[in-house]
Amino acid sequence: MEFEVQENQANNSIQGVINLQPQVNQVQAQQQEIPIKQTDLQVSSTLEESVAVTLLRDLRQIGVKLRCVLVPTMSTNNARELRNWDLWGPLVFCLMLALTLSMSGNNDDGPGIFATIFVLIWVGSFVVTLNAQLLGGKVSFFQSVCVLGYCVFPINLGALFTLFFSFFYLKMLLVIGCFMWSTYSAVGFLKLLIPEQKRILALYPVILFYLFLSWFALIV
Amino acid sequence: MQNFGSNNDLDEKGHVMTDQPKIKVKFEPKPKPSTCPICTVEYYQQFFDIEQRDVYMRIRCSLLSWKPEFYQCVGKNPDLWGPLWISTTIIFILFAGGNLSRFLLEEDKRHFKYEYNYMYVAVLVVYAMAFIIPIILGVIMKYILKSELGVFEIVCMYGYSLSVYMFVLILCIIPYNEAQWFFLMCGLANSTIFLLVNLWDFMKKNKQTTLIAVPIISFNVALILCFKFYFFRLIYAVDD
Repeated sequence: MEFEVQENQANNSIQGVINLQPQVNQVQAQQQEIPIKQTDLQVSSTLEESVAVTLLRDLRQIGVKLRCVLVPTMSTNNARELRNWDLWGPLVFCLMLALTLSMSGNNDDGPGIFATIFVLIWVGSFVVTLNAQLLGGKVSFFQSVCVLGYCVFPINLGALFTLFFSFFYLKMLLVIGCFMWSTYSAVGFLKLLIPEQKRILALYPVILFYLFLSWFALIV
Repeated sequence: MQNFGSNNDLDEKGHVMTDQPKIKVKFEPKPKPSTCPICTVEYYQQFFDIEQRDVYMRIRCSLLSWKPEFYQCVGKNPDLWGPLWISTTIIFILFAGGNLSRFLLEEDKRHFKYEYNYMYVAVLVVYAMAFIIPIILGVIMKYILKSELGVFEIVCMYGYSLSVYMFVLILCIIPYNEAQWFFLMCGLANSTIFLLVNLWDFMKKNKQTTLIAVPIISFNVALILCFKFYFFRLIYAVDD
């Protein structure tokens, strides 16, 4: 089976051709590789691998993207890697942060905090990305949500470490460091996509977003 | 052989394989319905057509509230960036600062209970003040009192009138009753004067002074009472 698509940028549509071969041999059809242009996925081979291999591959992709996002260098490799957005990473870090904060001993309202953090991260990413788009930034929606979600990871680390320390000023220093790391990574990614005279308008919400999360990590 | 879509310009691509059946597929984005323009994201793009210099000038206009210059600052370009992010900043300051103020006054700091409800109440109060009340006022002014000001101009003005509270509420973290009242009164005066001065022309022309001024003043007073008695309430330990 051959399936080729071509983007028609003029009217924002996709045109393509599917050639169906008569399926005389089911096994043979399944084992053929289907060259699909837009993704690197080889459909037939992933259907046959074990669950462990699939999970490890996804985790490895999350790890690679995490390294791209958190060691902010301006290489083209980074930019290319980040264009393949996924929402697994942000979901994992969001859940980790919400769980860490809701289970720490100082508060009465664990489920409430879990819900607040969860909603805050997703609604916050959504609103910050929408803001950047409305200001005329050339930023793809899910790609931006993906990067904002990955940049929550330092705050995750900060929240985990503050569970083990009780000295307040040390916690404060740690959380401030994590906040600056998160913000620097997110800002580094977004600032190139926004026109110069609107940059602060697009980046201030990002700072506010991570400030909210860091504040939660500090007080809980 | 089935044909989905009616497009035949794919022939030049050279994908003709004579023995096999072919399906030509064309995906086109659906044409956007024009029944509800205000519901689309594109409609709001016109309200984010500002630069950081403009936002700075507008905040400066609102802090120097006695000069009726807001319309010169805004021109024909009301924005929603200011109202949205000024109110969100105020929510954060209320949530963090309100609890910090109580913490500073607390004697038994190890057993301090953080009140998370501050966030939910702050979201309700501040977004109501920044969006719901000006929308209602704007609709009344535009459709009943026939003003030439649009609804979004009023929302923009209300949003920037709250900008003084960003600074006032940080100062209110100081846990002294008199200091907090003083700062809140300054904020109230600044915010109310800004709104009245800029709506003065309209009020005089239509002779509707009381109808507009009274709700503006009363909602602003209600706002600072809410700030003082909910977020920055000081409960002193009784000594005797």
